[in-house]
Amino acid sequence: MSSYRCVFLMGVEQALEYRVSFFLSMLSAVFPIIIQTTMWNYLYGHSDAAAIFGYRQGEILLYTLLATIVSQLVGTGFEGEMNSDIKMGGLNKYLIRPVSYKGYRFFRFLGQKVPRVMVAAPVMAVIIGLAFWQGMPVSIGKVLVFLISLGLALLLNFSCFYCIGLLGFWLTDVDKLFGTISIVLTVVSGGVFPLDIFGGVVETLVNLLPFGYTVQFPVNIINGRFGWGRIGAGIAFQIGWIFFFVCLGNVMWRHGVKRYAAVGG
Amino acid sequence: MKKMEKIGRYFKLMGVFAKYSLMSALEYRINFVTGVTVEMGWMIIKLLYVAIIYKAGTSIGILTPDHILLFVGTYVLMTGVYMLYFGNFVSLPGMVQQGEMDLYIVKPVSLQFLVTMRRIDFAYLLPNLAVGMAMIVAGWHLAGLPAGVVPIAGFLFYLACGCLLTYSLFLLPYILSFWIISVGGIMDISNALWDFNNMPSMIYGKWFRRIGTYILPIFVITNFPGLFLMGELSLWDCVWGAAAPVLFFVLSRALWKVSLKKYSSASS
Repeated sequence: MSSYRCVFLMGVEQALEYRVSFFLSMLSAVFPIIIQTTMWNYLYGHSDAAAIFGYRQGEILLYTLLATIVSQLVGTGFEGEMNSDIKMGGLNKYLIRPVSYKGYRFFRFLGQKVPRVMVAAPVMAVIIGLAFWQGMPVSIGKVLVFLISLGLALLLNFSCFYCIGLLGFWLTDVDKLFGTISIVLTVVSGGVFPLDIFGGVVETLVNLLPFGYTVQFPVNIINGRFGWGRIGAGIAFQIGWIFFFVCLGNVMWRHGVKRYAAVGG
Repeated sequence: MKKMEKIGRYFKLMGVFAKYSLMSALEYRINFVTGVTVEMGWMIIKLLYVAIIYKAGTSIGILTPDHILLFVGTYVLMTGVYMLYFGNFVSLPGMVQQGEMDLYIVKPVSLQFLVTMRRIDFAYLLPNLAVGMAMIVAGWHLAGLPAGVVPIAGFLFYLACGCLLTYSLFLLPYILSFWIISVGGIMDISNALWDFNNMPSMIYGKWFRRIGTYILPIFVITNFPGLFLMGELSLWDCVWGAAAPVLFFVLSRALWKVSLKKYSSASS
């Protein structure tokens, strides 16, 4: 376990290596929030948007603020490194040592999240506090369940992108493909807009597929849009999809390692 | 006469760069296809904004959803043009740090032209050009805007001005790499600024709009062609739309020349 603790601390150190760049990157996330907040305020001020989109103005504004932060918190980025390990032979050192590659990736991922959590936690606390002050139905119970679902969302996103990273065993030149997958999954997870505003088939798909459970579901818990029944079902879906991706990852790893050529060294 | 010959030579060079970039794109076809898919991913986000406006069915000031389709289409098209040479901007900080400009500095052409235009990425242009043009044509037709010679010529003129302004304005943060080591965060912010054109400038507040039009003229790039078409550009704005690109080009050129003095060649 101590080796994983070291990996975790390495992740923290790596994330803090370029501090100015890190904070400016966090700051750049504010711009889309300004654009979207301006747009929603305009639409709610000039049309019956609440009836059209199914969200009240406060709910959509809270969604815009929190979805950006949650997207940053659960976001990955290690799939490119995994591909490089597979292609350049960097995987060799993990295969001959008594550490699990998945464990290494997971604890490094968690470590890299620590600085982001330290910045995001107080910001989220202020936003949620303001929402409560504005009369939105935020309770301690909902906040606790939100935090649990956020943890599960982190696990789900890790398991999902771990499987995507393992595609490197079968595909060549996948760096740009990862870029595409990452952007598409940001959209379908509700990281830009809540997709249930489009209703119908889109809403059903969001409820059934795993991606909405990484951003849209946790944010809508704190929004007060979901009752306890819907929250329970959503958490069951999160656990179910985590289980699915963990199993899929294990199967992919077993088959992938057999194809691994261990070039370089 | 000599000046014209010089300009002609640069156009010829541009053609050569484009030819070699196209040959490279055709050689690495999977890379080209995945490049197109990345850009299509980003486009989904841009189209979501339009989908929301159409679903709400609300006008923004004088702009109906059909006008907004044209404005966002212009933004998509201009993104494609910007992405054509964007890769050169991104590689500029690395070239400065690694001293890779040594090779180019001795060539008998403008270093700025060579460094910022040598690679042309058609994979990023293609989807933006196709979808952007379709959105512009559809928005133009649905909004019932005039399609005479003057409106089309004016629209194309302000598009061309927007191209020059994009190059000049967005090169500025990358030139800072001559002065500071890590420009990653500054690049993120300049990219995020570009995205303000995801919505027409009329949606923003008065002061925000003024800053984005006259101080950091990002709104001029994608709003002025559409506003000209609608006959909503004042005489002063017509002049500013043509002057701003020249002004910022001169500024970027001057900053480039000053910054180049900071360049220390690689040790070899």
